[in-house]
Amino acid sequence: MIRAFTTAVLALGALAITAVPSLAHHSATMFDDKKTITVEGVVKKFEYTNPHSWLWVDVTGKDGKVTTWGFEAEGPTTLQRSGIRPSDFKVGTKLTITGNPMKDGKPAAIWVDAVRADGKKFNPRAGFAIK
Amino acid sequence: MSRTRGAVAAGVLLTLAMPLAACTKTAEAPDASTPAPLTAVLPDRTKEQNIDLGRQHRTALEFYQALRKEANNGRPLQWSQLPDWSGVYSRPANAGFAFDPDQKPGEGPTAKLTPEYQAKLIKRVEDVKKGIEWDPISTCAPPGHPRWLTEPFLREFIVTPNQTWLINEMVNDVRRIYTDGRDHVPAEDRYPIPNGDSIGFWDGPKLVIHTNQLQSGIYQRQHPDYTDQVETVEIWRKADDKTLSVDVWVYDPPALAEPWYVKQSYIKLSDPDRSLRIRYWNCGENQNNAVVQTKEGGTQFRGFTFDKGADAQKGKR
Repeated sequence: MIRAFTTAVLALGALAITAVPSLAHHSATMFDDKKTITVEGVVKKFEYTNPHSWLWVDVTGKDGKVTTWGFEAEGPTTLQRSGIRPSDFKVGTKLTITGNPMKDGKPAAIWVDAVRADGKKFNPRAGFAIK
Repeated sequence: MSRTRGAVAAGVLLTLAMPLAACTKTAEAPDASTPAPLTAVLPDRTKEQNIDLGRQHRTALEFYQALRKEANNGRPLQWSQLPDWSGVYSRPANAGFAFDPDQKPGEGPTAKLTPEYQAKLIKRVEDVKKGIEWDPISTCAPPGHPRWLTEPFLREFIVTPNQTWLINEMVNDVRRIYTDGRDHVPAEDRYPIPNGDSIGFWDGPKLVIHTNQLQSGIYQRQHPDYTDQVETVEIWRKADDKTLSVDVWVYDPPALAEPWYVKQSYIKLSDPDRSLRIRYWNCGENQNNAVVQTKEGGTQFRGFTFDKGADAQKGKR
């Protein structure tokens, strides 16, 4: 199942910088921070890698067609600081996951948050918080 | 109790009491070999004072030499006096990755730029509004210094008398600060390198660093460029049990109209189960992270794949 939302655009001055979803290593301008997309599916693969991790989720549409969505996050130690470990998303794990989707319509997004079928929540951005 | 038993008991008590007395004595009056706490000659200055101090010197090297003179040339660090910089640290990223942590949300960088570099920055920001942005580290090039100061990943700091290693997890990045009295590489033999050449001295618990021989780069995305003439002066110190604080002055005459002073902090992370570890960072291990620069100058993924053949190409970009 896919749900899309639009959020308010930040008002910016002429020389003000532009709000862009922040990812270390590469620009995130290919993603749309004004939109979020939420999908329900099962984990196909969890790439716990540097400089970015990818959680790949198989989503079955109403027509029965399966689309693999990719959700990009930071690398392993930042995910670890978020409380996200490789064992949290084994292949076949059911979840609902939200992200900022790509502008060109490809099935990929910046991973914003996720809720596993058992109710446990995961916020990959929490890894940048100092604790 | 017999007289003999009483004497033995008294002897045991005396034997037990002697180390206790010795410990008590040690606690009250430090042994002569206990090193005295490190004290600095250089004062802690306010932000305004530091900005003004940077303006008083024409070059980073002149400024570094003035600090060295003010600190009476510093004092060599002894193995018995190493400041405790142990632990795993990170830079607060709550407000993003701005070079100046005092940069306000939505506003531009705080540097005073030359007109040429101001125009470049305006174009960069305008391009981002059009969705056009390319980061030079996208293909796994090292961030380089002074951008090195801004990355939000894990860090460790290893202090020895003759060298201090400032380690950033990202691309296994190590800055070596030589404090053994050596000078920089002779000017005629310098060539630009990402982290440059760093020499320093200790003023009590403060490490003062001068870095030159740097490569051009950007301070961060939506930030100004710096040129390969950029040089920095830094003063590192432990501000409290959890915080390493760094005063940074950047000199770069082609790009900066005046030295750019910023204050950086690195916070020791809570790690009760000792699970935080800096791992080898192989930037090319996942082909799904490969991005390319578009014709317009933007950023786009090369393409996603999961087939075994692609997996076998991990590391080949």
